[in-house]
Amino acid sequence: MKPKFRAVGMQAAVALFLLTAGSFVAYAEMLLRKFGSISTVQAFKEFGVISPQWHKYAGEFIAFTHKIGSWYLPVLVGVPLLFLLHYLVIGPKSFSHKGQPIPFYGAFTRFLHWAVAILFSTVVVTGLMVLYAKALGGGSLILTARTLHLLCGYGFAVVAIPLFLIWLKDMLPAPYDIKWLFMAGGYLSKDVKEVPAGKFNLGQKMWFWLAFAGGAVMVYTGYYISSLSLQPEILTGYLKIHLILGLFIVALFITHLYMSLFAIKGSLSSMISGYKWEDEVRVLHSRMLKKS
Amino acid sequence: MARMKFLCDIERCIDCKGCVIACKEGNGVPVGINRRRVITINQGKPGEKSISIACMHCSDAPCIAVCPVNAIYQRDDGIVLVNKDVCIGCGYCFMACPFGVPQFPKGDTFGKRGVMDKCTFCAGGPAPNFSEKERRLYGQNRIAEGKVPLCAAMCSTKALLAGDGDKIARIFQERVARRGSGAAAPGWSTAYK
Repeated sequence: MKPKFRAVGMQAAVALFLLTAGSFVAYAEMLLRKFGSISTVQAFKEFGVISPQWHKYAGEFIAFTHKIGSWYLPVLVGVPLLFLLHYLVIGPKSFSHKGQPIPFYGAFTRFLHWAVAILFSTVVVTGLMVLYAKALGGGSLILTARTLHLLCGYGFAVVAIPLFLIWLKDMLPAPYDIKWLFMAGGYLSKDVKEVPAGKFNLGQKMWFWLAFAGGAVMVYTGYYISSLSLQPEILTGYLKIHLILGLFIVALFITHLYMSLFAIKGSLSSMISGYKWEDEVRVLHSRMLKKS
Repeated sequence: MARMKFLCDIERCIDCKGCVIACKEGNGVPVGINRRRVITINQGKPGEKSISIACMHCSDAPCIAVCPVNAIYQRDDGIVLVNKDVCIGCGYCFMACPFGVPQFPKGDTFGKRGVMDKCTFCAGGPAPNFSEKERRLYGQNRIAEGKVPLCAAMCSTKALLAGDGDKIARIFQERVARRGSGAAAPGWSTAYK
């Protein structure tokens, strides 16, 4: 081998070595730099300690919790006052309860109605207790109320289903409901006039759908509010739905109490005995007899 | 008056979770609840970082703003505490807190919630200092003993700082100035050259 050729070989070997070693060093340097590559600010963002949505929903939610108590007050005071006025000015409807007793509610229906009534009333009362917890001092009294609210809410969800199915057919809207609405069910006059209604009038239908369909929404949202198993931004939305829908349910709950206990004499006993009398049905549920 | 604050130095936190255990054991925290948690990003990869998070004891705390029974209150030194005799466990504070701090022990009836539990900065609660009731409901009162919270006291790398906000800010500033960042961090010249 010529000396000149050997020198070129040496040079190539050295160059190859430098190239290989250099790239290893560069790679190692890059790896080392990577450990310090995340800045503190970037890391704080990636931790996600603060929910990115928080700034959007929190302020509104805080304001809502301050207002909601005062939204319920007009309903809790105003609606009963309105009915007191109605009772004094127009007065209750009473019928002679002569003639034939007409079977209205079966034994199973009555049993379900009273089971739902007890559960629903407990839910309403305990719900209002939680809402006005501050006035009641909070603590274990309200914790007990919350437990009852939960238990009776779940109980309602179960017992309401058969009652919903039994009444569903008669609770579907009918064309004459509009007429009932225009004459306000005859409740604004002292005259005893025939009212267009089948087995249930529009008022009862409204209460039915609010209590059962609305009740389903209440149970659904209530489940998540109690389990806290969703993102806070969704939970705050559910809480708003729960409390605003609850406002309407409470209003119609009071209405239902007034109608059954005071406004129509004998209404309560019909849900106990299961019978309504012919003269009452002819006026308040006129379409029912015409159909049969 | 001193304003109590937490600060977690994420260049030092090594995700040992000692703070979580120390808090849980030392304060007798209910089952299923951790008052402090450690979050780690890029675990096992370049750029791994960890942070220890508990109640931040906010100024103008949203939990206090939404509490419907005024069970949550703030001391003069900034520590936010809950009165468990008044709390109704409604969960509003959980929905309002930006850090997801308030926690609720599961009761026995249909998963019902108990009253809210959260970090007390180891300052006990509204019950009389060092009373049996305070220990049972809230845990230790190390602030009244003149000690820092358990989590910060046991932190092996002293990543978690707790105390007067001005003082821990100064400590942190000094650290940052001394170590710089990245390859200038302490130990790098010894370990990697």
